[in-house]
Amino acid sequence: MTATKLYRRDGADAVTACALDDIVLLYHPRSGQTHMVISPVPEILDQLVDGGPASVAQIHDRLARSFDLGPADEAMDEIAAHLDALVALGLVRPA
Amino acid sequence: MRHHLTLRIGPATFRIGSAWPAPVAQLASLYAAYPQPSDAVADFTVRLQPTSLVRRFIRPSIFITGDHGLADAAPMSLSHGLLAAEMGMNLQMALGWRRHLLLHASSVEKDGRVLVMTGESGSGKSTLAALLGERGWRFMGDEFALLDLDSGAILPFPRLVSLKNRAIDVVAGQVGEGRMGPLLAATAKGDIRHMVPRHDAVARMGQGAMPALLLFPRFGHAADMRAVGQAEIFMRLTQASTNYVALGEPAFTALTRFVRDVPARAIDFPTGEDAIAMVERLWEEMA
Amino acid sequence: MSAALLVRALRDPASVAGLDASGWNGLIAAARAERLIGTLAFRLDGVTVPPALTPILSDARLDAAREARQALWEADRAAQALGDLGVRVVLLKGTAYAAAGLKAGQGRFIGDLDILVPVEAMAAVEQALIAAGWEWVKDDPYDDAYYRQWMHELPPMIHATRDRMIDVHHTILPLTARQTPDAAAMIADAVPVDDGLFVLSPEDRVVHAVAHMLADGDLQGGLRNLWDIHHLLADTDPDILASRAARHGLTPHVRQAQRLAAAFYGPGARLTLWDRLIRARLLARDGWGRETRKALVFAFFLRSHWIRMPPLMLARHLWTKWRKGHRPQ
Repeated sequence: MTATKLYRRDGADAVTACALDDIVLLYHPRSGQTHMVISPVPEILDQLVDGGPASVAQIHDRLARSFDLGPADEAMDEIAAHLDALVALGLVRPA
Repeated sequence: MRHHLTLRIGPATFRIGSAWPAPVAQLASLYAAYPQPSDAVADFTVRLQPTSLVRRFIRPSIFITGDHGLADAAPMSLSHGLLAAEMGMNLQMALGWRRHLLLHASSVEKDGRVLVMTGESGSGKSTLAALLGERGWRFMGDEFALLDLDSGAILPFPRLVSLKNRAIDVVAGQVGEGRMGPLLAATAKGDIRHMVPRHDAVARMGQGAMPALLLFPRFGHAADMRAVGQAEIFMRLTQASTNYVALGEPAFTALTRFVRDVPARAIDFPTGEDAIAMVERLWEEMA
Repeated sequence: MSAALLVRALRDPASVAGLDASGWNGLIAAARAERLIGTLAFRLDGVTVPPALTPILSDARLDAAREARQALWEADRAAQALGDLGVRVVLLKGTAYAAAGLKAGQGRFIGDLDILVPVEAMAAVEQALIAAGWEWVKDDPYDDAYYRQWMHELPPMIHATRDRMIDVHHTILPLTARQTPDAAAMIADAVPVDDGLFVLSPEDRVVHAVAHMLADGDLQGGLRNLWDIHHLLADTDPDILASRAARHGLTPHVRQAQRLAAAFYGPGARLTLWDRLIRARLLARDGWGRETRKALVFAFFLRSHWIRMPPLMLARHLWTKWRKGHRPQ
């Protein structure tokens, strides 16, 4: 269930970021992989930087303080999809 | 091995062993101006060996290997032995070099600044570097440009220039027979002839310089010029590097800095002469 | 013989002091061919070497550090994929040595991820790996059937985006081999490392490394396997090792490995005639890194198949492989 799933970032999964044009490159030393991402992925990762667990709704609320996200349910679906993609890459872990 | 030679090109030292005399003799003569220390510790060993004992004598065919090899590398005819030796050295660099970020690119230098050109085989980057090397630029390499991870400088790797098909006559006509190797007809990449770089390219092969312009040349199209986005440049350069992944974070840092600092253009051109005019103009404007 | 030079340098790093350029070239070529260059670089740390060697050795140390990091990342990915199944996942070989911080792992070439799981969990493991992005490498039905029917593992899988291989074993020797190690006992006695993963107990690590080298392999990479065994032995209790070896039916192999490890990397040992043949095979490499003694090497290649398969099956297998152009190296 998306609503109850929690996500977190492991300190060992810290990335080095570099913005080129509107793309952000993320270098992930632990896997040796370079990822190319665009907004809102870097912003989602930033919300998890404290290492604590957070739900999709919590991440949405934190993002909503700085960005205009539009209708909440659509935005939450998109955030959830990005989080699952980040889990598959190993940048975010299920908590 | 019975026939062997130690050869220094740029920062790398190769020990090349061969079951047959011809490839080593050709290397020794074409690389006569390069250091050939007989008692050096080599960075890489290259071996040109028969695919089987029979193949040493009958329709001899060369298996290219060494410290680093590809199990499925296709054997080559002994008449292409010089090419086999060159490929053997390239293979070691591509798979084993760790002291710089290796870019599959040609490079030339003028006034202490470097023009880097990258593209697929057939893009014209090799011929263009060879031609510029005859017209006031210092030739630094036609195959690999070495990006220093700390300083961001480009270091030379000025091996013999490998000219293919139509480019052979264009360049041979300008540099003269004395600097050309034997014609290797009907290789997997067509006809190939090697060209010895000018003396200054060899004499200064230890000297790097900062990159000032990056070009993505494309031969055989109507003249055109385009800007290329930084993210695309980054992606194309990682694809043009055989050791980006192996070098890890220092390569990420060096390559992102290169992409941000060095202006870039894609250029299309119908002939070498057009290309040279375009390059000289861009160099004036951008570098 | 450069392989002998390599063994001497690993046993006694100070012995490199007298090497000339040609000796160094032979040593480096042999170390690369045996995939021991990283190990050698760690052994020579602090030893005075000619200036040309410094970058070669530091490159090798960097490569080894990357190997270990990537291997541990693959283990992390497998742990993530298999975490919900509730089965013990035991890391084997190089990844296990890196995860447990063992001396055998220092500078070691690692390559594929090898894991051992209970045989009854194989189907679930296969499904979970496919769901997490791994896919089959071989599309050859003969090889696939051969692996599933006779080998001790699933056919190798590769991750679609990371391009790294995983070998999933349910026992440590092919089912056709004469010895039948007790894989369930190995899994039961495994010890935990990070991320909910396990490694074999110290004694079983030796038994596994020995089985891999002497009861299974054609001795390709044997110098490295023996180096592993030499260091793994240091962590074992001799009595437990003897009883584990007996339990897995590998007592003669473990004893032989102890003799060979002592002869190559330790204080020396009395070798039997058969030990000496193996020694000759392991040292068959010249100053250019080429394998010498082709006949002996080929004999061990044949034997490695012979000891795993009944003769008729062996003939059929080799015929099928060779018809497709496969040749022993």
